[in-house]
Amino acid sequence: MTEQARRLRKSILRTAHAGQDANLQSAFSCVEILRVLYDRILRAPGEPSCADRDRFVLSKGQATMALLALMAEKGLLPQEELASACRYGSRVSMQADRTKLPFIEVSAGSLGHGFPVAAGMAWANKIAGRGGSVYVLAGDGEMNEGTMWEAAIFAASEKLDGLTLIVDDNRSIGRSIDMGDLAAKLRAFGFHCVTQDGHDEDALERAIRTEHPGTPLAVIARTRRGFGSGTLMEDASWFHRAPSDEELAMLLEEVERYA
Amino acid sequence: MRKAMQEAVRNVIETHEDTALLLIDIGVYPFRDLLERYPGRAKNIGIFEPGTISLAAGLSLAGIVPVVYGISPFIVQRCLEQLKLDFVYQQTGGNFITTGAAYDFSTLGYSHFCPEDAATLRLLPGMEILTPGTPQQFTALFRACWNDGRPSYLRMTDHCNQTQVDVEFGKAAVLKRGERATVIAVAEQLDATLAACKDLDVTVLYYTTLAPFDGETLRREHRGGKVFVSAPLYEGTLWPEIVQALQGESVEIGGAQVPLEILRTYGRKEEKDAALGLDAAGIRRKLQDFL
Repeated sequence: MTEQARRLRKSILRTAHAGQDANLQSAFSCVEILRVLYDRILRAPGEPSCADRDRFVLSKGQATMALLALMAEKGLLPQEELASACRYGSRVSMQADRTKLPFIEVSAGSLGHGFPVAAGMAWANKIAGRGGSVYVLAGDGEMNEGTMWEAAIFAASEKLDGLTLIVDDNRSIGRSIDMGDLAAKLRAFGFHCVTQDGHDEDALERAIRTEHPGTPLAVIARTRRGFGSGTLMEDASWFHRAPSDEELAMLLEEVERYA
Repeated sequence: MRKAMQEAVRNVIETHEDTALLLIDIGVYPFRDLLERYPGRAKNIGIFEPGTISLAAGLSLAGIVPVVYGISPFIVQRCLEQLKLDFVYQQTGGNFITTGAAYDFSTLGYSHFCPEDAATLRLLPGMEILTPGTPQQFTALFRACWNDGRPSYLRMTDHCNQTQVDVEFGKAAVLKRGERATVIAVAEQLDATLAACKDLDVTVLYYTTLAPFDGETLRREHRGGKVFVSAPLYEGTLWPEIVQALQGESVEIGGAQVPLEILRTYGRKEEKDAALGLDAAGIRRKLQDFL
């Protein structure tokens, strides 16, 4: 884990503790993905005035705290505002609202919406004849939703090569249903699909930069729920739970010591 | 009305490059020239309504005004969450034009009926609900709302009124003034309603915008403490709006509306109207009982 990723995970923990609500396993599994996107891939993200900016859509909304902690690192949100998480009237929450924060492209919350909306944005870019790609982060559980595959059919049919789907495949849904070979499914739907270690930033960057002329790209990022903390990786109760004072100290320590 | 719709939509697509037409596998033949001339932004999307509404939201968020055309229940009910989260929550605009009305597809059965559309969509804050009763009214309402930055539901009917009324977006039209009650007529129900109360001493207001509801006109024009709703919508639809508009006053509400039943009959629409008391004779009977 890089030092920046470690710092970000600690920031997520403090935000979760302040808000007393969180999906920490889901937020932790996509830290490297979000960092690669915002550090190395996205052009002019979060600049609503720039029509041909790259757009990032967080379809797995339950990782919102990770995104907001990253935005605070980037200076797009005052660091101290993270401490207001989940309070009445706050801008910082479990599921971000685009009307409150200019760098949020799509308000999230219900699974199966972000990807088809992102496909519509990629189509809009094509209609407008402008540059700018659309990147969308979904979860493997979210890939259960029918609308994800509706969007996949459309994106492939329209050859939306300005669209990249990244699946944070932290195998959260394996406990309930066997999704089979996700990469093969996406290929069968017409995507160029690559699978990569979702915690290796250099490898992720290469995967996201894969050439994919004439087809949308899917990157299956193999990740672990709660990556960076032994407790979060092992204990399923952390799927939706906020840390107490003692747990915060313990989890911060685990992240600090994680190799 | 379909021809007027095609003309209005064609005009918008031809004159505005930042628009797109999404057909949910209906209207493909009449729009075939448009699909050929603008293949990039006028498409028969296929048959996946929820995904289509989300795609339309993505277009809208990225600066392209979407016009979606489908069948009422498959947009209103199958896509209710998409309308709520992808349009209303995101505060972005779009157009949802439907065919089917209450039970225009009378022979197809309950799956294709949607007398609950207005009652369902009124719970989406900011959703505009338009119910034109003639082709001219469709044109006027679409012109007013297609690019207003809000989601607009335009409910078409294949059973247009013969009565011509100039309508304005967001405004009820006052067609007749009387003392004993106020009759609210909606959409294709106007002709039968006017026939039913032509010799009765009642006020008739014609509504083609149901949301935002014009409470002001009702407040100003209502008489006799009685409001009668004549609408091809499930019974109870518009009652909350009436109560809200007449706050502080005692009002008795009645109506000729579609009973809250699973409609299992086929036949012609007119046969349903007669059986449900929504033709002129039925409306008159109900109105006289109410008075």
